Amino acid sequence: MSELAIRRGAAPALAVEGLSYAYPHAAARALEDVSLEVAPGEFVLLAGRSASGKSTLLKASCGLVPHFHGGEIEGEVRVADLDAVATGPGELAAAVGYLAQDPETQVVSTTVAAEIELPLEMRGDAPTDRARAVEEVALALAIPHLLDRATDTLSGGELQRVALAAALVTRPRLILLDEPTSQLDPVAGDELIWLLRRLNEEWGVAVLLAEHRLERCLAAADRVVAMEEGIVGFDGAPADFLLWSREKDPALTTPAARLFSLAGLMPLPVGVRDAKQTLRGTGIAHPPHQASRRVRDPRPQAPVLQAKGVWVELDQGEETKDVLRGIDLQLRPGDRVALMGRNGAGKSTFLRTAAGLHQPVAGKIAVDSIALLSQNPGDYLVRERVGDELPGEQGMAALRAVGLEHAIDADPRDLSGGERQRLALAIALAGRMEGKQLPGVVALDEPTRGMDRARKDDLVALIERLAASVDCLSHSETKATRGTAVVVATHDVEFASEFAERVVLLGDGVVIADGPMEEILSGGWYFATEVARVLDLPGVVTPEQGAAALRGEAG
Amino acid sequence: MRSPFAYVPRRRPLQLASPGASVAYLGAIVAVAFLYSNLLVLVAAGVAATLAGLLAGARSAVRAGLGLGLSLALLMVVVNALVTSRGETVLARLGDWPLLGRVDVTLEAIVAGLSYGLVAAASIVAFAVYSACVDPDRVLRALRPLAGRSALTATLVSRLVPVAAADAGRLRDAAALRGPGAAAVGKAPLARRLLAGSLDRAVDVAATLELRGYSLDAPRARNRRSRSRYDRRFYAVAAVVLATAIAGKLLGADDFQAYPSIQIGLGPATLAVAAVVTFSGLAPLKRPTRRPAHRLEVARV
Repeated sequence: MSELAIRRGAAPALAVEGLSYAYPHAAARALEDVSLEVAPGEFVLLAGRSASGKSTLLKASCGLVPHFHGGEIEGEVRVADLDAVATGPGELAAAVGYLAQDPETQVVSTTVAAEIELPLEMRGDAPTDRARAVEEVALALAIPHLLDRATDTLSGGELQRVALAAALVTRPRLILLDEPTSQLDPVAGDELIWLLRRLNEEWGVAVLLAEHRLERCLAAADRVVAMEEGIVGFDGAPADFLLWSREKDPALTTPAARLFSLAGLMPLPVGVRDAKQTLRGTGIAHPPHQASRRVRDPRPQAPVLQAKGVWVELDQGEETKDVLRGIDLQLRPGDRVALMGRNGAGKSTFLRTAAGLHQPVAGKIAVDSIALLSQNPGDYLVRERVGDELPGEQGMAALRAVGLEHAIDADPRDLSGGERQRLALAIALAGRMEGKQLPGVVALDEPTRGMDRARKDDLVALIERLAASVDCLSHSETKATRGTAVVVATHDVEFASEFAERVVLLGDGVVIADGPMEEILSGGWYFATEVARVLDLPGVVTPEQGAAALRGEAG
Repeated sequence: MRSPFAYVPRRRPLQLASPGASVAYLGAIVAVAFLYSNLLVLVAAGVAATLAGLLAGARSAVRAGLGLGLSLALLMVVVNALVTSRGETVLARLGDWPLLGRVDVTLEAIVAGLSYGLVAAASIVAFAVYSACVDPDRVLRALRPLAGRSALTATLVSRLVPVAAADAGRLRDAAALRGPGAAAVGKAPLARRLLAGSLDRAVDVAATLELRGYSLDAPRARNRRSRSRYDRRFYAVAAVVLATAIAGKLLGADDFQAYPSIQIGLGPATLAVAAVVTFSGLAPLKRPTRRPAHRLEVARV
């Protein structure tokens, strides 16, 4: 009998029975007759598209639903034998920890030590017990060096770890995480997932993790629960989930599983190690080396963005920091460029400098014209009617460019997340278009945060349309004079492999790599797609390319 | 961008002291400023607050406090010079002004305004040092047993201020990034958007507090860091400053008169009070770490 099976015999960390829930004034229920159990020490991955009910299930499991959000609830939720429907989140805090997507609103103290200590203080623990618990959780999460820091000086990754420490310090039996890696770079995201796995194994804490980027965490999970429009669509082992998603919802499948499906290989791998083992077993662990495609469109046009030795210094309270250190970069019409790098590498600062929000202290940056969509599209929306945001012919032209002309009378709040993002882009474009001609550069800063695969595919299509010189304004086949250069700052390696033809990798304010997408995203470990990590072939980054390589070997 | 007045944790005596000791020390300097009108003593109070901030490493806060305080002091000098025509030394006759009537600028009014201004400047610098050096969490923790709901409100507000400031910065940037063909963002829609966003943020922060168990009626634990080795120093300096200031006041150290002619006392009592207050600014000085003697002996062996 496996250890997990033995643990399953104990009282579950979470037991949900016949749970249905509707938010106040909502037309439809967010959850419909959901039943599931999480055993003590189990690591469960919660998969599903946007608005499928993942976040609501997590909030119901920690008492925020219905105690904080109101609404109508039916069914039973028990957390470590406490009735979560009858008991408030405060009482549940000792048994369950919760970590939401945005770490900024999850810290309430000025210093890290005070933040981690707060739940213990609220519980009335003795000072010596508090000191020891804070020290232990800080060591477990590798953040003892942060204890004396002010919380508002931390990076996103550090803040997420501090919030996790505050959720874990009471040693809860269950920890709930709602897309904790969505704002983290691949390095910090991988670190967080494996940290959770280690805590799960060493501390025995059960984990219920909602994520969109499944390739990042599937290998760490014991079980997968997939939500579909408020109901549980699948509940089983990760390998079985891949078979289910291939049939029922391919948008949920991982790149490695898609690679195997296309190549006709079985079983579908839950992670890189599984995939490599299967390939070794079939004798095709090392497909022949293929030279990377270095075919570059010569594009004789003049650059639309030219940065030469750009240094940018930012004031960070008590000190200033050189965030960009001598950046040289050129973009030409029609370029599709992914700007990648760790949190704090300077990606956003570069885009903001190009858009004129920062002035270089040295060097020059010349831009034809640029429309920048920042990380929070909601910040652009200040009126209650789309047509009021974008009046006149220039506004209508911008709406047509993003395919939103039908929504002119809608309230921006009634649009879907993807439509709101396109509306914000239209606001940035409005007036920067010369007739049907888009601006020289369209820049998007982390546009895929919290997006599911289907919405990412829509965004890829939009980027390709903007860059491909197709006349967006009339949706006709008429060609415009040139495409726009699209530059996207992103942590999402798989998304970059879908849209980009070139990747610029920044490290601590300098360009550390700049080349064709296939070359850059197959030449490392962290900034590499799952397929590239499985096959380790130069130039092979997407499931389609990988499958072609494998079929060539098999043939 | 962080506010220069934001608290920054540092391993300095003023930050390591308990909130009570830090507040007593800085409060004593502010008390002197409010007790005295004598320019020398007021300058001494301002210097003490400035020194305290610099020795505590709060350069940005001191710079911002001085900027704000001296601007306010200048404004008070100008306003007092325009609205008060008392004093024997007329520097300028500006004729009849609407609302103000006849305006004569006198040296005495300027000096009296300077006295009020120095009170404000010294107090503002001291508050700036307090803001940058005293951990608000520890202050709130001390308040919580006395007034739980007020402490909760203060906690929410203290967290929301930097969050709202960051939101406002982002909204300003988004407004700057709007295309020239999009509707211009007026102050009213921007303020409405910020307010709506702040309410959402407040709900998120309140949810986090709820999840941390803030609403629990569990017995409040004693504060682990209620005392520090620097407490005695700050309480002692506060006591000496206050005792000296009160004694000096009784002995006539606050010898200052602006009208009808200027009289600034510079007697021994005034000089003594000014000296004590100035030197009190050195209280946050951190002694250099001394190498233990036995290490030298080991080295010799």
